[in-house]
Amino acid sequence: MNFKRWGIARCTVQLLMIALLASPLAGLAIFRGNLAAAELLGLPLADPLAFLQALLGGRVFVLSYLLSAMLVVGFYVLLGGRTFCGWVCPVGLITELADRLRKRLGTGTQTLPLTLNRWSLALVLLVVMVTGVPLFELFSPIGIISRAIVFAALVPLLLVAAILLVELLVARRVWCRSLCPLGGFYSLLAAASPLRIGFISERCTHCNDCLKACPVEEVLYPSLELNHPQVAAGDCIRCMACLDTCPTKALKISIGYQPLSRDATDPLKGGR
Amino acid sequence: MDSDTTNTGISRRLFLKGSILTPLTLALGGAAISAVYLRPTQARGFYLRPPGAIEEPRFLAACVKCGKCAQACPYQSIVMAGGEAGVGIGTPHIIPRETPCYLCPDLPCVKACPSGALDKQLTEVEKVRMGTAVIIDREGCLSIRGLRCEVCYRQCPLIDKAITIENRHNTRTGEHTIMEPVIHKDKCVGCGICEKVCVREKPVIAVQQRVTEQKDFYEF
Repeated sequence: MNFKRWGIARCTVQLLMIALLASPLAGLAIFRGNLAAAELLGLPLADPLAFLQALLGGRVFVLSYLLSAMLVVGFYVLLGGRTFCGWVCPVGLITELADRLRKRLGTGTQTLPLTLNRWSLALVLLVVMVTGVPLFELFSPIGIISRAIVFAALVPLLLVAAILLVELLVARRVWCRSLCPLGGFYSLLAAASPLRIGFISERCTHCNDCLKACPVEEVLYPSLELNHPQVAAGDCIRCMACLDTCPTKALKISIGYQPLSRDATDPLKGGR
Repeated sequence: MDSDTTNTGISRRLFLKGSILTPLTLALGGAAISAVYLRPTQARGFYLRPPGAIEEPRFLAACVKCGKCAQACPYQSIVMAGGEAGVGIGTPHIIPRETPCYLCPDLPCVKACPSGALDKQLTEVEKVRMGTAVIIDREGCLSIRGLRCEVCYRQCPLIDKAITIENRHNTRTGEHTIMEPVIHKDKCVGCGICEKVCVREKPVIAVQQRVTEQKDFYEF
């Protein structure tokens, strides 16, 4: 199936998010703010990591801000945590485009391990607790891109350009995969999310097309190698690219946690 | 290309990539980061924050840089700092000489702030304390030189409270009155309207950082 249903849906949502950010410029009153804190049709929404940094660094507590952050936490727990990375984040959209270019150039195929983003999250929280400097909010390419869109603050885009250059030439998708602390935060939520990618081992022909399409391919290893019935939920960004590419439809959306059946751990019995 | 011993397995392409592009990338990235962030905070001077801003070190962390205050401001007085602000990147501030704060009675910027960086306990415009006006160039001030100007006084939203006119004898001419604008720090909200309207090319009155009450080291 060449028609990338999920790919098109996802790209549409990503572009809609940018349109939403830019909508106040067109005089529309549906959206205010950016991905750190916003108001969508009167509903206050807040980035939970930005909330934590303001709380720890600025020692301010506003109940409505906590509630709007909890609203976002609840939303992403239900819809898969790092769905944010795949569907909402403008940096994700840009680095994906850069990744296509990288594939053409054939550069920088090595990269860092996925689990590094937990450490960068820990670093951000540690720094803000000790020094009061909201480290991620300072460097956040998400904030830089949204302020470039809304307020035409273009100079800090240099940082985004630097990230793109590194991803293009040195290490594949290294910011989004391994370094972004917000990705680390959402991957902790994603581990508890009911929305997962299921794997039907009987259908899998081990063509490895999914591995080539997946931006965080480590999440497929437990399924492909040990026949886990579900893809590793924490780091999966729910981009559904594997659903689009799998020729035998061995991957599907699966709701709720499915434990590993006893047979499946043994590759000999698992129908490999 | 004569023997295998000279072939290190590194192609020309890989060599170029490794020796030119990687350092170039790192240099560009490093330059971008240091240009934006690694300048001393004091060197940047005073940023006039929107009404209700909490004390600066906490403000820098409490502000989540969402820009809602700037979007709420009907005069577009609030602008978001770019990379030149260093650790203040993306934070809102007011450049009074361009557009001062016109002190909306309902303080829409404070209402828009989600994170508490602008304190919602502030509800009265007269209690705003963003900074304080200071006559920074007495020799340049037309009123102090004995001419009739007093534009800052007339335009001050807290006329006769934050700025008053003190009359005194003009000893230079011997027969006129100097009508000197005097700022009262305890009433001045720091909106910057005086700085905006000052008729001189470079304003002789400007909003500066408020100095908190100092404990004197000797008794008067």
